[in-house]
Amino acid sequence: MVLTAIRRAEKTRVMPRKRVRKNPHEAETEIALDNVSVSYPLASGAQKTVLHRLNLDIRAGEFVVVLGETGCGKSTLLRLVLGQEFPTEGTVDVDGKRVRRIDARCGYVPQKYALFPDRTVMQNVMYGPENAFCGWTARLLPSFWRFRKSLRAEAAAMLQRMGLRTTDFHKYPQQLSGGMQQRVAIAQALLMRPPVLLMDEAFSALDPSTRASLQQQMHDLWQESRPTILFVTHNTSEAILLGTRLIVLKPHQEGDQESNVLLDMQLPQSSEPLSVRKKTRDFEQLREHVKHCAFRESDFEVERRAVQEMPRRVEASE
Amino acid sequence: MSATGPAFHLTDIQGRPRRLWTQSLSWMLFLVGILLYSQFSVARHKENPEDRVIPSGAQLIQGVKSAVLEQPEEDDPLDATATTWQRVSHGMLWRDTVSSSRRFFISLLLLIPAILLGLHMAVFPYAEAFFLRFFLFFDKIVALSLLPILFIVFGIDEWSKIMLMVIGVGPTLMLDTYNIAKSVPREQVVKAFTLQSSSLDVTYRVILKQILPQIINSVRLNLKPLALFLFAGEMIASTDGLAYRIAIMRRHMGMDIIIPYLLWVAALLFAMDALLRFANRRLHPWY
Amino acid sequence: MRSFCPRGILKCKAGKYPRQQSLGRAFAANGALLVALAFLCACCTPGYAAAPTFTVGWSVYAGWNPYFYMARSGILKRWADKYGVVIKVQRFDYAASLDAFVGKNIDACTMTNMEALDMPAAAGVDSTALIVGDYSNGNDAVLARSGLTLAQLPGKRIMLVQKTVSEYLLERAFEVNGLGAQIPRLRLMNTSDSDLVGAFLGDRNNPAAVTWKPLVSQILAQDSGVHSLFDSSKIPGEILDLLVVRTDILERPDGSGVRFAKAIAGAWYETVAQLASGAPAAIAGSAAASGDSVASYKDQLRTTYLFSSPKLAEQFAEGATLRQKMDLVRQFCFRHQLLGQGVQSVDDVAIRYPDGSVQGKTNRVRLRIDATYMQMAAQGKL
Repeated sequence: MVLTAIRRAEKTRVMPRKRVRKNPHEAETEIALDNVSVSYPLASGAQKTVLHRLNLDIRAGEFVVVLGETGCGKSTLLRLVLGQEFPTEGTVDVDGKRVRRIDARCGYVPQKYALFPDRTVMQNVMYGPENAFCGWTARLLPSFWRFRKSLRAEAAAMLQRMGLRTTDFHKYPQQLSGGMQQRVAIAQALLMRPPVLLMDEAFSALDPSTRASLQQQMHDLWQESRPTILFVTHNTSEAILLGTRLIVLKPHQEGDQESNVLLDMQLPQSSEPLSVRKKTRDFEQLREHVKHCAFRESDFEVERRAVQEMPRRVEASE
Repeated sequence: MSATGPAFHLTDIQGRPRRLWTQSLSWMLFLVGILLYSQFSVARHKENPEDRVIPSGAQLIQGVKSAVLEQPEEDDPLDATATTWQRVSHGMLWRDTVSSSRRFFISLLLLIPAILLGLHMAVFPYAEAFFLRFFLFFDKIVALSLLPILFIVFGIDEWSKIMLMVIGVGPTLMLDTYNIAKSVPREQVVKAFTLQSSSLDVTYRVILKQILPQIINSVRLNLKPLALFLFAGEMIASTDGLAYRIAIMRRHMGMDIIIPYLLWVAALLFAMDALLRFANRRLHPWY
Repeated sequence: MRSFCPRGILKCKAGKYPRQQSLGRAFAANGALLVALAFLCACCTPGYAAAPTFTVGWSVYAGWNPYFYMARSGILKRWADKYGVVIKVQRFDYAASLDAFVGKNIDACTMTNMEALDMPAAAGVDSTALIVGDYSNGNDAVLARSGLTLAQLPGKRIMLVQKTVSEYLLERAFEVNGLGAQIPRLRLMNTSDSDLVGAFLGDRNNPAAVTWKPLVSQILAQDSGVHSLFDSSKIPGEILDLLVVRTDILERPDGSGVRFAKAIAGAWYETVAQLASGAPAAIAGSAAASGDSVASYKDQLRTTYLFSSPKLAEQFAEGATLRQKMDLVRQFCFRHQLLGQGVQSVDDVAIRYPDGSVQGKTNRVRLRIDATYMQMAAQGKL
């Protein structure tokens, strides 16, 4: 009885294999936001609208960067896709299905607390796929151990790809630097092969040189396997360097009829290293243009405030 | 202090006392305590050689001997041929320790559901809505005042004492677990769900696993309240146990037995605390 | 309050006692600390006032409640003034009053003959019983449920405060009824008096309890299925309630201790005379001491044999039966190791009677029953 139940569980929960597209030439819609509004009732009785009539269509393989000043609703957008928050109006679909709860359709890399502190790097990375393979009732079956063995090799490859040394595999997160932790977090999310990878200010807490190297790595990674990425940031350079599509949001003003989207543009791609591209004239011009659109204050000022408000903002909106 | 090294005054925060110093300083208060005690004892015995309030060293040794080797008087006497081990295992200290420990550990076991309830309250919104307000209030009830009701519900025997301990410490431990679990960053829960965890996975394999060391620390802090409730219960109604013996000895000022008993209880609690601390360090190297 | 240590140290510091080796060494070891401590103690010790002050501790019990009335009504003040002393009366819990007396924080204290033996006397505090106030004449009782008899009690759980007169009464109940051999088979559960009523009534499976009034009355009133198997009226004069004073107080060279004894004896017999005559103020005042109603207190008095005149008390104290009764009590104390773990013989805690005879070793007299003041009261010489 028990054994058959376990077998059934094992059958139904299969590790997501590499996704096959029906038509390789026409990329399907991965994330669809249809007429989405989000508003909160305030203590005064008024309504605070964060997102207004947002229509967004993100296709598979796009690297979408969401940029905007503080309070423009970019984190809300990300939480909508994640399933941590729900629209007051309109619908959100990911991978062709309505978002009703947080699930494995999205990979998630937050700014902090991305890793489980009680597990080693390897355990952290393997946690998700193990869950996907079977529930913990079926863990005694030999098939699980075989799967685990192959998974371990895959995880090791992924970690090495992200720049970790094998000696780091059995360390606990707190023994690693912030940059290393984020690398592990990305590997952890990617190993699940989610339809969508969500990155919420993932590099904001890192120092500039670590940040640059992680950006390069992210860029290479996308070039290689073209996952769908929704990347939220408040840093203009980062946005332009990484994305294939840039969405700039503006805060919703009372009485505004149009949506929050200020700018929705495709970005030019090139294969040269980011550090080289950063120094080109084109890049400089583009950056000035976007910055001018996106921020009413100086970038420095926004960045300072954003960093200050970051942790509180997450809590306050929950 | 060496001539070449930096010189720090005794009251300097920057001071770096040597190991020999820190070690000997840490024993200082023990020494002072013993000296003061013997001082009082000697002074009192000068005035009254039979004083029982602050027993002398010889009285204490005699007290320890009879506590360890002599049987409680309510038991049938052993025959004269009994070995030392038989005498110890039938001695009052051992018998009392066994019966008190049994109560202690049973209630400790019964506290596990309380901890899990606290965890569930923190994780499951419906459980939180259902339980939290009640237990916030229930926690404030002074458990000792419930004793007459406990006697009626659980009888006068073991269970009323055990339930006194559980009711006294359980809500505190539960609410502490709740707070600890609540302070786990939201990102962890979100992340776990994106890694295809079930709700139970999140509760037990993500949250419980990472707050376990904090829960153990909370249990360590609650060992003393637990012992306090045990003592209160045993003093009010019992036929054996460490506090029972102390209550009986108090009737005729048997401080020569009471003081060894108190030190023994302190040592047991200290050992238990050390054991938990050690286990915490070994089991959770990441903490 | 005087802390319990200072005098010893102060004397040592003053050099009245020859310093012993160990003591001297100990002083050298932590001299500075002790000097500080001695100074502290010196500050705590009250300076000598004009009139010597004595503190009497009492606890709630039918036979001791009159102390409260005595202090309240001014009777005590009048007698104290007459003898030029100041007497303070302080209420304690029973156990705490004994601790305070043994710790020498109070000078005189009310207690039963049994505790007088196993607390101060056994702890080496030489004490004198000044006043034999009353004996329990039905105040203490063995209660049982559903028609149980004494012979059926062994093996059943009996709730009582162990090592007190309750246990003594229980054992005496068996002895008197010829069931002495059953005593080792008794299963006793030590139950605090504050929770005994609730615990006993809370569960109808509890077969028996031994306790005292007013708890006895509370149990009997609330559960008609409970009946009394045996009470202290069957062993009259064995459970005595005394006023005990430390012998060294009585023997103070300035004679203030004797004056204190005279004052308190005088005040006591004046109070008791009022009670015996049924003066409403005296009865209401004594009932108020424990917050009892007058009716309840009268009920307690009915089962308390109060020596209403000093003559009666003196006769009892000098009578031959007291010796036999005290022997029963001291044997009980010895059997239960209440005289101390190390005491080898019952005679190590000896009792001296008014006629000068000693029960036990003559060099180990610890409790003295002194009829002098009762006699003086009887003769009207106070």
